[in-house]
Parts: sequence; C-alpha cells; structure tokens
Amino acid sequence: MAERCAVVGVGQTHFTKRRDDVSMPGLLREAVDRALDDAELTLADIDAVVIGKAPDAFEGIVQPELFLADALGAAGKPLMRVHTAGSVGGSTVLVAAHLVQSRIHRRVLAVAWEKQSEGNAQWGLAGGRSGGIGAGGAFAPWIRAYIQRSQAPEYIGWMVAVKDRLNALKNPYAHLRIADITLEKVKESPMLWDPLRFLESCPSSDGACAVVLTDEAGGRRAPRPPAWIAATAMRSELGQFPGRDPVRPQAGVECSADVYRLAGITDPRRQIDVAELYVPFSWYEPMWLEGHDIAGPGEGWKIVDAGETEMGGAFPVNPSGGVLSSNAIGASGMVRFAEAALQVRGLAGEHQVDGARTALAQAYGGAAQYFALGILRSDPD
Amino acid sequence: MCSHSGVTEPAAAPGPTPPGQTSPGQTRTVENRLEFPYTRTVGPVIGGFLAGLREQRLLGARSRTGRVLVPPLEYDPDTGDPVDPDLVEVGPQGTVTTWTWVAEPKPKHPLDRPFAVALIRPDGADTALVHAVDAGTPEAMHTGMVVTPRWRGEPTGLVTDIEAWEPRR
Repeated sequence: MAERCAVVGVGQTHFTKRRDDVSMPGLLREAVDRALDDAELTLADIDAVVIGKAPDAFEGIVQPELFLADALGAAGKPLMRVHTAGSVGGSTVLVAAHLVQSRIHRRVLAVAWEKQSEGNAQWGLAGGRSGGIGAGGAFAPWIRAYIQRSQAPEYIGWMVAVKDRLNALKNPYAHLRIADITLEKVKESPMLWDPLRFLESCPSSDGACAVVLTDEAGGRRAPRPPAWIAATAMRSELGQFPGRDPVRPQAGVECSADVYRLAGITDPRRQIDVAELYVPFSWYEPMWLEGHDIAGPGEGWKIVDAGETEMGGAFPVNPSGGVLSSNAIGASGMVRFAEAALQVRGLAGEHQVDGARTALAQAYGGAAQYFALGILRSDPD
Repeated sequence: MCSHSGVTEPAAAPGPTPPGQTSPGQTRTVENRLEFPYTRTVGPVIGGFLAGLREQRLLGARSRTGRVLVPPLEYDPDTGDPVDPDLVEVGPQGTVTTWTWVAEPKPKHPLDRPFAVALIRPDGADTALVHAVDAGTPEAMHTGMVVTPRWRGEPTGLVTDIEAWEPRR
C-alpha cells in the first residue's frame, strides 16, 4: 500500500504580461513563500524539491535548476527537474507526489514557472528557426477536424472563451481581466489560426506556482484542510505516427481510464464535482471532455452548449479562468492541480464551486501527446 | 531576433558561375548567423549591484548570518533566506584567493595580453568574485596578493565596468 499524499500548501504569483520588478529566482520565491505560508512550514521543513518548466529556449537558461537552488532552499537536498513540454507543471506535481507515496520523502516542494517576457515562446517552440507557426498553428488543424467530426457549431469556441474570462474576474491571480467580454467580441476578434480567433487564445504570462505535498501524518495535522491525492496517471505517445488520432489521442484516453480506475470513478461526469483542464485554445474544452471520456463522442460541445461547464453548471470546468486567462507555460499544468486542490479544500474564494469534494486536474503538452492527470479529494479515503 | 547571411564568393572564380553550379576546386559557403536576444530581469539585489558598478562602487549583500556576499545573491545559499535588500559597499581593494594564468588570450577574453583569471575577495566581503588580474607576468601573481580595480572610462552597469584588477603598487 502506497503512502497517502496530501497537498497542504498552494502558492501562486499574480500572472501578468511582464514581471520586470523581480528576477526569475524572485518570481519563484513569491510562489514558494505563499505555498509555505499556507502550509505553515518553512524551507527547512522541506526534504526535496521538484521543479518543472517548459523548454530552456523560452528564457535562454539551460539547466535553470543549477542557479535556482539557492532561491529554492535546495542546497544539500535532492533537487529534480521534470520536463514534459506544456504538461510539465502537472507532471511535476505527480513526480513530487510519487516521492511521498513511495515513502522516499515526507515533505516535497514542487515549483513550476515561466517568465515568458524574457524570451519569445513562439521562436523557442520553432527550435530556433524563424517563421514558426506557434502552438495555435499546430493545434488549429486538429480543432478543425474535431469540428468536422462532431458537427459542432462555431459559437461553441466563443462560449468557452467568454466563460473562462468571466470566471477569471473572480480569481485574483488571473492575468486577463476582460470584464466586458461577449460572444460578439470574441466573434469579431481577429482570426489568428482558422478557426481560432484572438480572444479564443491564451495570453503569454510571467508567473510561478508552488505546492507543498506531505505524507498522511502531515496531511492530518495540516493547519488548513488538505487536498488528498486519490489517484495520478501519466501517459505519452509520439507526436506523429501513421494512424494517430490527434483529435482524441490514445495516450489521453488511456491516461484518464487509468486515473478513474485508480480513484474508483466509473461515471466521471457524475462523480467529479469540478475539473481544471488545460485549455489554451477554447475548443480544447469540448475536445478534452471527449478525449478523457467525460462526454461521449460528439457530445462534448453539447455539454458546453447547455452551460453545464459554467460555474453553476453540473460539470464546472476551469472556475479559475483556466489557461485561456493565464498562461505562464511551465506553471500552467501545476496551476490546474493547485486550483483543483483549492476547490476540494474549500479555499478557492470567489471562484469556489459549492460543495466540491472531488476534482479532476489535467495537463497536456507537446503535440497533444503528454498527459498528466490527477484526482484530488477532500477526504483521504 | 535577427539573421545575417552573406555568400562568400570563391576566391579565384574563373568567370561567372551560374547559380547552383560549382566549378571543380571551388567551395561556396553561406554564412548564416542566428541571434536571439533574451531579456534578463535582474531584480532588486543584482540590479543594485549593477547600478553600483555604474558609480564605480562595489556592493555586496549581507545575509542573515552576517556574511557579506560579493557578487550578491538574492538568497543565502546556505539557508535559502533572502539577503538584506540594503546593499553594503566593499573594497575597492581585494585579496586574490586563487588564480590561474592565461598565457594566450583568445578574442573573447577581457584582455588582449597575458593575464590571470582570479578569485578576488574584496575587503569587507566574505566571498570572492571571478575577474581578471592584469599583472604582466605569472611571476607577479601570488595567492594572498592585494589588488585594486581599474575602472573603464564609460560605465555600462555590467561587471566588465571593471576592466581588470591590478597589483597594489
């Protein structure tokens, strides 16, 4: 039997376009200090540190863990870096959880970040070549394939864009605050990568996220309610191979099947109270609802259309405002887990979903090929 | 991001060569240089150190344990605690704690004549910084020697505002 693992501390920076006032170590430390304050622990209490960020080309610092060790209080402690492209923040939480569940460490600090203003992510994604198509350019054909396959009306993407930005107004850490957003405004925003319009796309953010994970004893004596990690799963597949279905990647299907099985979930749409899904472009909300078997084939957009994924709906998705409202790339996957933890701890403030006791956190990365999923609960059993 | 390219014409071309064709014995090369300038936000502590250099002042950071770190770090590597944000002036003279001789300087080295790369602990500091010592010959170098900074005429707020250190006369 694995050791139980609890999230007892969550910290985020405010996400914003540029944080010129702090260095990268200073940015991380803001999130770390907030997570430690939440857990009422200090750096001296931490046994090991796990960090995650997106490719080094984004900020031009190779092996950033070396110069960040001081700021992470990691001198003389195990310090490990995880790298799974955009899903890395999620994978980082899972690796940290595994260190606790396997009883290797009792208290682990997980930190993920991106300081996008120090470089150019589109250039970094293109592997140092000019003329890259960017993430939106890579995903747009698969989104078009989803629309064609499911016969979804084009306003579904606009609905997700409006919903997440309205949710973001209730999250003090969210980057984009578009109080007057409407379907009309999204529809009239410039087309970037057909069918994705400007307001259906995530921003470029600076920011960091940190979580403190402990064993069962640590969870039980935590000063505030912990979030118990009921199940975790990671899967990956090649980004290209003959017969691949990039609209509903098999790795994503198997990853969610695994995490539901481990958590004893047989009907995710009924048994999960709230989900934080990695939705950098509006259409990925219905696509992941189907890709993780929360909705049947061609049914994901209907759940969106019925308003079920809104804050007061039957299956709220991204009450934090999601990646569509804040995207410090490396941090974004961890924020999904951090926000899921806040929901089941009852500490999400204005964007709290009433009575949330079971939450799904999801992160994906690369060419929709890396997946990190977790089920977090209010109760340890 | 910027890219520079230029076609190098063969040195002894016998005559016009049509594009895409190379005469025997000729090598055409194309230089293609890619550069991407990153922006590094230095924060208040490193930023304070760099601002001090512009005024020809060497600043260090005091840790909670009382050590003075030069160049400053934002967090004490021993404890992870943030350093005192009010920097303290050190030096200007310092002590060489170890060194190695560079007999054949390369184009990117700070000096175009033989010099020492040294760890220099400025007076009042508990740590040493890496810099160049313009000593002329390796015989003029020894661990424990006292050196003083030679400042560049037009400061830019970088550590290269100190052109090199010289043996105290």
